[in-house]
Amino acid sequence: MYGSGILKGLLVTLKHFINTYRDDLRQGKKRYHTPEGIAYRSSKEAQGIFTVQYPEEKLPVPEEFRFIPFLVYEEKAEGEIEYRCTSCGICAKVCPPQCIWIIRSSDPNTGRPIPDPAEFFIDADICMSCGFCSEYCPFDAIKMDHDYELANYDRQKNNIFDKVKLGKPVSYYAQIRPDNYAREEAARVEAEAIRAARRPRP
Amino acid sequence: MAAKVDGETIVGLKPVMGYLHRNHEKIGERNTYLLNMPFTDRLDYFCSMSNNFGYALAVEKLMGIKPPERAEYIRVIMAELTRIVNHVSTIGFLLNDLGAYFTPILYAFEERELILDIFEAVSGSRMMCNYFRFGGVARDLPAGTLDKIRDLVFERLSRKIDELELYLTNNEILRHRSEGVGVLTPEQALAYSTTGPVLRASGVPYDLRRADPYGIYDRFDFDVAVRYHGDVYDRYLVRIDEIRQSIRILQQAVKDIPEGPIQEGKPQYQVRVPAGESYGRVEGPKGELGFYIVSTGKPNPWRYHVRAPSFINLTPLELMCIGQKVADVVVILGSIDIVLGETDR
Repeated sequence: MYGSGILKGLLVTLKHFINTYRDDLRQGKKRYHTPEGIAYRSSKEAQGIFTVQYPEEKLPVPEEFRFIPFLVYEEKAEGEIEYRCTSCGICAKVCPPQCIWIIRSSDPNTGRPIPDPAEFFIDADICMSCGFCSEYCPFDAIKMDHDYELANYDRQKNNIFDKVKLGKPVSYYAQIRPDNYAREEAARVEAEAIRAARRPRP
Repeated sequence: MAAKVDGETIVGLKPVMGYLHRNHEKIGERNTYLLNMPFTDRLDYFCSMSNNFGYALAVEKLMGIKPPERAEYIRVIMAELTRIVNHVSTIGFLLNDLGAYFTPILYAFEERELILDIFEAVSGSRMMCNYFRFGGVARDLPAGTLDKIRDLVFERLSRKIDELELYLTNNEILRHRSEGVGVLTPEQALAYSTTGPVLRASGVPYDLRRADPYGIYDRFDFDVAVRYHGDVYDRYLVRIDEIRQSIRILQQAVKDIPEGPIQEGKPQYQVRVPAGESYGRVEGPKGELGFYIVSTGKPNPWRYHVRAPSFINLTPLELMCIGQKVADVVVILGSIDIVLGETDR
């Protein structure tokens, strides 16, 4: 019959339409605004409506997701903050759009450079979020963040991140990237054990 | 494009390109080899994994290293998933050009979303993946990803492509508007050096994965999709055939993937590339994507050129459009499947 192709196509779209309401009835209140509902709608069994209603519902971000980097600091006693960064400059060298610039601090008495950054700037407008800085940092000092809601009204003022804005504690890093953190801690403990074994016994 | 029309019929046409020129090749000369990898992502932004693959192949040819087995399998899986993503989006965009506004696109994008979720879990980003390195891939697949790929490949994708075919392939409007439109004979296609689905829809069964196998493609059992009329409808059908062949390759790859290391040697940021020149090419979803690198032993390339399939497939546009109506030109342009990022680099 002439037009049967079009009719069959219309039946397919009608099926999609009905599936949404059928799943609504079947899953009731749990379909929207709950984590299981979001997981169902982004899984392989999803039929009917597929949309996640942002900003009321947010898709959980996977661990490897990378956005603008952040500097990791360790919190010592009495609230003292120690940045892991030693201002070696590898991240600045390996950054494709060259958006990192570091100024190494020098010892006030002798004038020689010490491994600690006096200033550390990243231009978040230029940053491509490629992840090279965190991949090639030998001290695990700079890692990629998960926070993508960085929109603001004044780019010039807000989007050049300095050391204070970039610094986040190790606990935050362990929370957003648990597997990576566990692997790096295991490697650190192992390296420490090897060094301890090599030290001459007193 | 600048079209010369006589009433509603086209008598001459010239594509005007260059509005997205971003100096990719000159930037490639100031970057070191590793730093160029994220820039290649942004060439054909739909298929970033394929672009990475081509560039990694070119530099690995110069360096003379080969990635380990697991990395090769991961590369093939990512490349074929990218092919599915691209073809499914192209079919959606072709139907958008034909007038079925956004319904086929959004149905196609459901599959694309699921595959992009896999890319996000593996490499950290949905489109600009930056996942391949010289000698392997950047990091291993996280736990659970292979199961997700398995679910998609063995269950959902074939079912959804069948559904797509059910409501699109026999649709009378699509057939009337695309059969016999924009015909490209095989001699013309070869003379204009088109590659990819455009060439295969014109009857020339040339596929780089069979003609010049790279990676481990010689181990997989798949057919080369060919159609013989060379019109818009055949290009649509060739893309659907290629999706099915990609699903076939994926099923074999996912079954055979071994355990093991994923990168040859330690990850370094200053790669030592000996002097020489090399041309690394892949069968990208749009055609033959090639990277030509001339190296003088310094950390950055001396000359870096990208053979962009969209740019070269655009050249027979005038030939295909002469004698057609203005409305058909839009459809023909949609069927060649260009991406401006690649055309203008």
